[in-house]
Amino acid sequence: MLAQLFVAGVVHGLIIGLAALGVTLVFGIARFPNAAAGDTMTVGAYGGLAAYGATGSLLVAGGASVLAAGAASLLGYLLVFRRLAGRSLAALLVAAIGVAFLLRAALGVVFGHQQRVYQVPLAWPIEVMGLRISPMDITLAGVAAASLTVAFLVLYATPIGRQMRAVADDPDLARVSGIHPFRVMAALWLLAGAAAGIAGMMLGIKTVVAPEMGWESLLPAFAAAILGGIGSPVGAVVAGLVLGIAQEVSTPIVGFTYKIALAFFVMLLVLLVRPRGIFGRVEGVR
Amino acid sequence: MTTHRRTLLAASAGLLAAPRFARAQAETFRIGALNPVTGAGSPYGAGMQRMIVAAVEAINAAGGANGRRIEVFSEDTQTAPQAAVLAAKKLIEVNRVRAILGTWSSGVSLAVIPLTNDADMILMHTSGAPALSVPPANARHLGYRFQATNDRFGRAFAEIAVKEGFRRPATMAFNNASGIGNTEGFRRAWAAKGFQNGVHVVYEPNQPSYRAELLRVLATRPDVIVMGSFLPDTTIILREWFQMGVPVKWIIPAWAANPQLVQALGPAVTEGIIAVDSVSNEGSPAFAAYDAAYRRTMNQPGLSNVYAAMTWDMATTLGLAIEQAKSFETAAINAAIRQVANPPGEGVSTFAEGKAAIAAGRKVNYDGASSVLDFDEFGDVTPDFGVFFIERGQIVRKYVVKI
Repeated sequence: MLAQLFVAGVVHGLIIGLAALGVTLVFGIARFPNAAAGDTMTVGAYGGLAAYGATGSLLVAGGASVLAAGAASLLGYLLVFRRLAGRSLAALLVAAIGVAFLLRAALGVVFGHQQRVYQVPLAWPIEVMGLRISPMDITLAGVAAASLTVAFLVLYATPIGRQMRAVADDPDLARVSGIHPFRVMAALWLLAGAAAGIAGMMLGIKTVVAPEMGWESLLPAFAAAILGGIGSPVGAVVAGLVLGIAQEVSTPIVGFTYKIALAFFVMLLVLLVRPRGIFGRVEGVR
Repeated sequence: MTTHRRTLLAASAGLLAAPRFARAQAETFRIGALNPVTGAGSPYGAGMQRMIVAAVEAINAAGGANGRRIEVFSEDTQTAPQAAVLAAKKLIEVNRVRAILGTWSSGVSLAVIPLTNDADMILMHTSGAPALSVPPANARHLGYRFQATNDRFGRAFAEIAVKEGFRRPATMAFNNASGIGNTEGFRRAWAAKGFQNGVHVVYEPNQPSYRAELLRVLATRPDVIVMGSFLPDTTIILREWFQMGVPVKWIIPAWAANPQLVQALGPAVTEGIIAVDSVSNEGSPAFAAYDAAYRRTMNQPGLSNVYAAMTWDMATTLGLAIEQAKSFETAAINAAIRQVANPPGEGVSTFAEGKAAIAAGRKVNYDGASSVLDFDEFGDVTPDFGVFFIERGQIVRKYVVKI
């Protein structure tokens, strides 16, 4: 039973982790909490849904969700956040909430408020070491692992990733070293959007697609970003997994109503006891 | 020349003034049609609104209620409490309506009823939450429910479970007044029949997975799971259940187990699900009148929208109550509603019939299109329930249960 809950928690946690990755990247480099991250997920979910409906291929759907959410994220930067660069945190946060509303309303107008679903073929579970796991969960875990691998390769094995981390570390030092801020920021918003898009598609496949779905999963993503240490990509993913697994495995003890509260209880504890999070560095949080 | 211009001026002034004069002569009784045109209630909302308008047209064609025409102002709740409250405020403060008809979901009705209570006006709704029967929501007895309460749905579920021979029912409820109302009603009725209740799980909305909840329920090996649920969560739960490969039967309210659910999950997952809904007062003359109006305006049979039959009855009942009260004051109209809807009295099926009987000094009893429409002390009615089975993707009605 516990092992079964653990498996459910892993898939849940990967979704939270991917969303948190988008949040934490923006926070580490653009330095504000991006409240539009949830609705960027929704854009990804609808993008993937449209592609899946047209082709029936999960691979194409993944590509479409990355493209749609990446484009929405980049547009948000070009049209709004770039113009507000250097403003106060509050101004950027409020602007992000505005972008979130705009995205949600646009999706509602275009696709309507009726729920939509990915018509994925349903299959009976397969037995893996006595555990009953649904094939779709294995596929989704694979999708998440592949996406995370690509994201971390971009961050740690490419010049643009190195530049992004340099800007995160010290923007002024990065600038005097000849790093072009615009290219870095564009790459950042694309990467953050792509991560959110995959998270949105996974959530859409697991649940139903509706304009409010991303906004409603924003808080767990923030909780994971804080728990992992703001600005730490590895931390965000690990914290997402911790929260997802903790929520599911705790249900026999705390029940189903309070499992959501558990994520925020953990977040509170972290803020009180270890404000920099699991993987955060003091200087990373500014 | 001057005279000519002056004549022209006078004539045009007269023309401009005439309509206003006419309007002032014919004061109307204003009502709000506040329905879920968009959002989760959108399959029903447009039809509900049209039937308020159609029933009011019938009232006005019969000379209006107590000498006044009724005027309808339409608004959309978006099936969301926030939007519904804004719309209700607009209806009350800007349009100055004297009653609001047709809120659909419990969350919306619970949010709107404090406003109608404060404005001293009647609210007629189709929501199921038991909280709408009692104070504080219905402290002033101005709320009327044209749908069965969730508690009555639960009792109907228990009748069906007995009839279908289930022995070990478990219950799962969406954590709100409506969801828990359904399962609580079932558990009370089931226990009253002398049976043992199974495990009861209350779950939260917007979860990416309901695996833990399902594991808990299925571990007790129930033969049926009785739901107090809505469409999105039911979609997620059934999809997850099917992929767990544990056979069990389901009893689900029809607002969740509807054609959209079948479309989302396909015939294999939904095969054998028992969907339960209140049924209209089919075969009654009032239903025939409603059905004709529904076919005329919506191009569909009246049976396709149980809630539209309810809103048709709302407008008709309100019109009859105004006629009976010989007044436009809320207190007088409110006192007259049970007089015109409940027995004893001469059975009437349309506003015109009722108006004639009232004029002749007889006590009337309106038998509605949605149910016989007899309000209890809480303003609730007791319709019959249709039991539908999903078979190869089709939702087929099998029998009717009375409670």
